[in-house]
Formats: sequence, C-alpha cells, structure tokens
Amino acid sequence: MNDSLKPVVDWLRARNPALGEIPADLDLIENRIVDSLAFMEFILFLEDLVGRELSVTELSADQFRTLHAIEENFLAGEGSR
Amino acid sequence: MTDDTEFRQLLERLSARASSDYYNPYTTFDWPAELPEDEPWFSPELLSVHGTEYAERLTPDQLRALGRGESINFYSLNVHGIRELLIEVMRRIHTPGFEIPSEFFHHFIGEENEHMWFFATFCLKYGGRIFPEKRLKLSVPADDPVRENFLVFARILLFEQIVDHYNVRLAADERLHPTIRQLNRIHHQDESRHIAFGARLVQLLWQRLLETGPDEDDRRAIGRYLAGYLSASIGSLYNPAVYRDAGIPDGLAFRKRLLDHPARRAEHRRVLRKSTDFLRRIGVPEA
Ligand SMILES: [Fe+2]
Ligand SMILES: [Fe+2]
Repeated sequence: MNDSLKPVVDWLRARNPALGEIPADLDLIENRIVDSLAFMEFILFLEDLVGRELSVTELSADQFRTLHAIEENFLAGEGSR
Repeated sequence: MTDDTEFRQLLERLSARASSDYYNPYTTFDWPAELPEDEPWFSPELLSVHGTEYAERLTPDQLRALGRGESINFYSLNVHGIRELLIEVMRRIHTPGFEIPSEFFHHFIGEENEHMWFFATFCLKYGGRIFPEKRLKLSVPADDPVRENFLVFARILLFEQIVDHYNVRLAADERLHPTIRQLNRIHHQDESRHIAFGARLVQLLWQRLLETGPDEDDRRAIGRYLAGYLSASIGSLYNPAVYRDAGIPDGLAFRKRLLDHPARRAEHRRVLRKSTDFLRRIGVPEA
C-alpha cells in the first residue's frame, strides 16, 4: 500500500478498531466502514489531508468508495513527493 | 393507517393556508446590490464560537467575517437539504401509501423549490458561492420501504426544526439587515406549515412502522440512527472553510475543539430540544 494512504487507513482504523487489513478495492460505503452519517467527517479529514476543498454528490460518491479510488483521485503524486 | 380523519382535516387546513399565504418569491424580496460588511450578517449568539473563550479571542473584524461565512454556510446547508427532501418527496407523491398527503405535497414541493431559489440567490449574490455538499446522500434501494418512509420524513422534519431555530432568531434580530430578516421571516412562515404537517406525518409513519412488529433492537437502532443524524446536522454548522476564511488557523482542529466544548454541547441540546422532545413524545427510543 502506498504511504500516502497511511493517514487515511489510520483514520478508518481509529473509527473501526475491530478492522483488520483494508483491501484497496473494498467498498467503504457499502461495507459501512464509513457510514452515511460519518461521511462528512471523513470528507473534512480528506480535505485537510489534501489541502483542497472536496464536494460530495450522489454522482461523485464513487470517488470516495475505495482506498484505491481515494488514492487515484486525491492523493496521486503525494506518495512520491 | 388508523383513523385518518384528523390527519385529513389538518392537511385541508394547511393546504388552504398555503394557498391564501401564497406569494411570488421572485418579486417579494429586496435584493440590494450588496450587504454592508461592517454590519453583522448573523446573530452573534448563533455563531459557532458563541459562549466559548474563542469568541473573546477573535477580533471584531474576524467575528463579522465568521458571521458572513456562517450565514452563507447555513443557507448553503438549506440548499443541499432541500435538494434531498425534494428528491424524496417527488419519489413518493401520488404513489400507494401517500394518497392522503399528496395534495399537500404539491404545496410543499412548490414552496421548497422557491426556498432553494432564495437561499441559493443569497449565497451567490452576497457570498459569491454555495458551499459544497459534504454529506453523503445516497438514495439506496429500500429493502424495507416502511422503515425508509419513516426515516425519510423524520430526517426532513428534524432538518426543518433545526433550521427553524435559526430562522426565528435571525428574523427577530434587529441588528441584522432587513433583507436577511425578511428571508428568515418568510422561510419561517412557510416552514411552520411544513413542520406541523411533518410532525403528524412522521408520527403516523412511526405507527405504521410499529405495526410491522419491529423488536426492541430494531427500534433502538432507529433511535441511534436519528440521534446520529441530529449530531451530524449540528456538525455541518461547523465548517473548517469558514474558519479559514475568517483567518482562524487549522480549521479542522478548531472545529473539533468547538464541537467538544461544554458550552457548545449545552447549546446543541437547546438547538435540538424540539426535535428530541418530539422523538420522545412519539416513542422513538433514545440512543
Ligand atoms: Fe424550506
Ligand atoms: Fe420545508
């Protein structure tokens, strides 16, 4: 797993202490790793991490669905910096 | 549904009032070219820092900037909340199970469309933007429509009650610009009908849900979900981007300090009192 994802994984683990390894393609929403009510906290955390504003719509939710998608959409390049 | 005579009478009264109170929103408001920045846009008592030591550490300029930001954030939340409730009501109007409220739904949908317009107009005209949506609103295929119907209208009602808490105070605040007071006063007038309607509908939908025989755990899970919805709604009033724009560093950490602050927690209970009282009254278990 890319280092850039570590803070994201840590955040998810802190809220789901029973969680083991999170596969990069696991659907975080469907599997309620982040439920709909905690989602705003997750977005605010991601915004803080990537340093720019994010927006969530029903049509854009897939961008946040898996660790892989989060890395590709928001963290690309950060790991190599 | 049990005896619906009383519900029908309420709907008739509310529909009649909606017709007689009808106004053309597109000609009702005075929209000055700009709102003075040396006056408050939001009541100081409604600011997310109110009652904490942080309010005292901010300069008057920062407090006014915070008020502008929190006002645009509040109306932006309305825009996004209305989008969700319009989608959900549209999915149900004139469908089985909603024969009785459908006539009133027409008033509701029409009025909410107009509310969305005036809130969006305010944001764009005076704030230059609508703050983006942060909450996930997925229309999931309902595996239990009775439960889903209850939750949808419960969310709408709780959202309207929270907004109304602010509308009433902003409308009455003589320190604020007439346009700001007017916007909040007019919204409150329409919402008082929506809230009277919603309270009755949600109570009926809860009874319908109880008739399906949910066990203690199911009912507790619903209570927990709604308590979570209320705290997420409160959380959406604390926007790190607004803190940043007011020159407050590290908005996310600042937000967390405020959300955990005893004075703020007491304030949250006050803002939510009508909602928690309502849920208790109809018998939704507390989380
Ligand atoms: Fe409204
Ligand atoms: Fe409403």
